[in-house]
Amino acid sequence: MKVLVANIEDVMREAAARWTLLAYFTISTLFILIFAFAVNLDIVEGSLAGAKLFGNDVQMHGQSSISIDALVGYVESGLVGFLFLFWPFIAIFATAHLVPRMMEKGTVDLYLSRPVGRVKLLLSRYLAGLLLAGSNIAYLIGAMWLIVVWKTHVAHPRFFVGALIIFFFVASLMAFAFLIGVVTSSTAVSIMMTYFLFLLGYPLVAHDRFAAAVNAEWKAAIIQGLYWIVPKSSEILGAVVAIVSEKNLPRQLSAGLTPAPFLSTAIFAIACLMLASWLFQRKEF
Amino acid sequence: MSEGVIEVAGLRKEYPSKLGRPPIIALDGIDFQVGAGELFGLLGPNGAGKTTTVKILLGLTKATSGNAGIHGFPVSNPESRRRVGYLPEGHKIPNYLTARQTLSIFGRMSGMSTSDIVARTGELLERVRLSQWIDVRVKKFSKGMTQRLGLACALVHKPDVLLLDEPTDGVDPVGRREIRDLLRDEAKTNGTTVLLNSHLLSEIELTCDKVAMLRRGKVAAFGSIEELTRKTEKYKMVASPIDDALVAAFRNSGAEVERVNGHLELSVNDVAHLNALVDQLRAGGVMLSELAPLRSTLEDVFVDLIKAPEVQP
Repeated sequence: MKVLVANIEDVMREAAARWTLLAYFTISTLFILIFAFAVNLDIVEGSLAGAKLFGNDVQMHGQSSISIDALVGYVESGLVGFLFLFWPFIAIFATAHLVPRMMEKGTVDLYLSRPVGRVKLLLSRYLAGLLLAGSNIAYLIGAMWLIVVWKTHVAHPRFFVGALIIFFFVASLMAFAFLIGVVTSSTAVSIMMTYFLFLLGYPLVAHDRFAAAVNAEWKAAIIQGLYWIVPKSSEILGAVVAIVSEKNLPRQLSAGLTPAPFLSTAIFAIACLMLASWLFQRKEF
Repeated sequence: MSEGVIEVAGLRKEYPSKLGRPPIIALDGIDFQVGAGELFGLLGPNGAGKTTTVKILLGLTKATSGNAGIHGFPVSNPESRRRVGYLPEGHKIPNYLTARQTLSIFGRMSGMSTSDIVARTGELLERVRLSQWIDVRVKKFSKGMTQRLGLACALVHKPDVLLLDEPTDGVDPVGRREIRDLLRDEAKTNGTTVLLNSHLLSEIELTCDKVAMLRRGKVAAFGSIEELTRKTEKYKMVASPIDDALVAAFRNSGAEVERVNGHLELSVNDVAHLNALVDQLRAGGVMLSELAPLRSTLEDVFVDLIKAPEVQP
């Protein structure tokens, strides 16, 4: 526990000293403020009679009013969808240096000369990084939830499930960033490779079509293999939006709500952490 | 193995080479022991294997064969480092931390409680003359200050064993003396075992009780400073006036005589021979003001050892 506390202190102090923490929370706060001031709702007897976005009237598409519960579902699912697309970039940018910086010559000796196993050290650092990223997601989602409750008096706890899913996905990407950090000792390479992996998950949703389109069986096998290895960005995005909006989304999105993308992404993260730990254990400094 | 705090036996380390070349042998079966409270120096030219030895002792790198242990624990066990403080050469304490935060983080990693860390921080920073800088970030520290903070960091958890790689690097002469005194005090008062790895032979000579000299991965010499810097049959003689006739007379008696900075350095056969020369000097009415035996310095021993041809087994 003391090792974990020491790593959390180290990670947070570094984030504060390098302005990462401030930048992280400033971006979140701006996002929250824009959201708070941009949306003005006119609610009459539990239904939305009119809405303004940045001061302009929003078209109600011929409807005189919309159920406020449904509207909150739309807004919250849109928000988590946006955050799922956007937040992993910031979270990885803020944490990818944690392993390469620790492994710098002259610094790693200071950490490894303490009576701490290497696996414990690496995993403590991973948890500290997760805490940094997680605290920001919690702040952002929590503040937005409060604004929604304040403006609509509708409270959807499932909005927080969306936050947990984003956190889970960031955790899987961070595990990969740690693995690349252990292998290359480079922050830049960790960031680039992790962004690539995140983006690769989107087109791979069409793996069956790609596999059918290639002219050799081994190429199809590679595409299918990649699909099962890489975190499922597209499916999990669909799932998080469907979960937060509940029954109000089209059936094809709700159909994405199977445990397989979550399971395979979790297995990927665990495998990355195990491999990173094994390599870190074997590494000579 | 017996009761050495640090025990090294048959330690060998090979680094693989590329393109089918033979491996580089950094350590070739070295053995030594360091007892409790000893100040032990590890000497050797660049590439002799000093840093590799220390890194193996800390589990930073693995030995190809042989054994190394601290307090009876093999170095592969993190427990062996529980009571070890380490100051690496060219260490980089994260520069966003202050002195207080550095000791807090590394103290906690060594298993210390918050109250122990708080109590130890003030005392330790006072000892290394950094108490005025307690809340200043390390990036504003000079090289000497960083080195002293590194030493405080190595000492924070009251270790029984200190492994120091060039601890006085970048430190001014006053600071060096303070570090030397601190190490001697640690050994004397707390029984701390100190293994010092340094290129500064004078530092080792002034600080350590025992040394091992490494050469091409082997222990080429081992012993106390007294044993290694043994007395020679050489004497320093300060007398006046010494003319050339007297020097010639000394040489005729079989002594080797050199004029060095206004005094003579004499190599004699034995004490009787020395006394005969003194009688001769006094008979000529020369005033003798100093006569002292000369010792070889650690540097002399080191240079002789490095220059000596390697004996093949």
